[in-house]
Amino acid sequence: MHRLFPEKLVTVITSDVLEDHLVARIRNRGASGYTIVRARGAGSSGEQSGMLDIDTNIKLHVIMPPERLTGLLDDLELLIKKGYHLTVYVSDVSVLSPEKYSESME
Amino acid sequence: MSALSNLLIPAVLFFALGFIARAIKSDLRVPPDLAKVLSIYLLMAIGLHGGYALGKAELSTAFNSVLWAIILGFTLPLIGYGLLLMTRKVDHMNSAAIAAHYGSVSAGTFLTAIAYLDNLNISYESYPVIMLAVMESPAIIVGLLLASWSRHRLAVTGNSGGTAVLQQGGMANGQLSGLLHEAFTNGSVVLLIGSMVIGAIAAPASMEKLSPFIDDIFMGVLCLFLFEMGMEAARRIREFRKVGAVLLVFGIVMPLIGGAIGLVVGGLVLEMGVGGTLLVGVLGASASYIAVPPAMRLAVPEANPSFYLTLSLGITFPFNVIIGIPLYHALAERLVG
Repeated sequence: MHRLFPEKLVTVITSDVLEDHLVARIRNRGASGYTIVRARGAGSSGEQSGMLDIDTNIKLHVIMPPERLTGLLDDLELLIKKGYHLTVYVSDVSVLSPEKYSESME
Repeated sequence: MSALSNLLIPAVLFFALGFIARAIKSDLRVPPDLAKVLSIYLLMAIGLHGGYALGKAELSTAFNSVLWAIILGFTLPLIGYGLLLMTRKVDHMNSAAIAAHYGSVSAGTFLTAIAYLDNLNISYESYPVIMLAVMESPAIIVGLLLASWSRHRLAVTGNSGGTAVLQQGGMANGQLSGLLHEAFTNGSVVLLIGSMVIGAIAAPASMEKLSPFIDDIFMGVLCLFLFEMGMEAARRIREFRKVGAVLLVFGIVMPLIGGAIGLVVGGLVLEMGVGGTLLVGVLGASASYIAVPPAMRLAVPEANPSFYLTLSLGITFPFNVIIGIPLYHALAERLVG
């Protein structure tokens, strides 16, 4: 049995126009990396088919140590308060090599 | 009847096919990035074409065209904003975001008008192409200014949540310069203007070699693009119930107003022929669905994207393609014919 270490996974689903902004926040908050996949679906902004530049969504994953989480969640909350449509959820995950997530990208 | 037969060109028919395919819930699908690839090609080809023609054109008329494109780009959103507020059914932020779309232009509608003119063997000036490039940006700026002005007003009058909105703003307050940068470096603007410069300065002999790419296959690619856009329009029009009767009427009245202003500018102010006048009319009438929506989504988060997307793509775009272009043509004939 492998030894596993607890980390937090933050997932954000939003319009791809916010990608640069979100990535800047994530870097700023000391994340070790992130993964973005293109997504489609529907919600409060209507259907996002991903067929045109104007209606493409992204799903962004960041794994972070729990103690660094608060800052990032503050940033995301601020964006939602400004009116941006963000779906944000945090899950508990277990990882193999915790040292990978403790170094920031900078 | 003749107006109808003028619409029997492959580009418009493919638009209808895409629309119908979606309406009858056909399982027909195109790869997700097709429309993006095709619109890059179309902007590049129209830019090279326009730049090549402009290279041989009169500079003073070109300058006047640019000036009037800027005037149109700034004025049309203000008219749209005023109209929307007068209905008392649309709030300030949505009005600002929607109005910005109507000051900008739709390359798809513009190209359909070119296909329409080619079909009737009507010649047209090259100046509207440069206006197409110029008109993308001013409307974004006006939209941002209207939104930030509305935000201030809401805060001052103390409407619900107004102060919170003022303190945080959209990104427009803190990052106005960033958004202006975005308005002028938007992908379609850079591609269109860049292609025009290349078309204008490239050696004529080398441009002839490009002819198969920018002339011969152009109409075929336009058919494919409009086919996809027909599918998108049909998908959007289903959401019209969400936008309500007031916005539905606006999506048809605003292009008529913008089109009339464009026709007057093209025909009387810039003194173009019937073809050029029709094209400037189309510029005034059309609503953006490429450059403006992402800018508004970023800068005016308070506005609902499904309103402005349904309006520009689901209502105004089909209206212009099917009814608007023949109508503006008839008016252009009256005006300068």
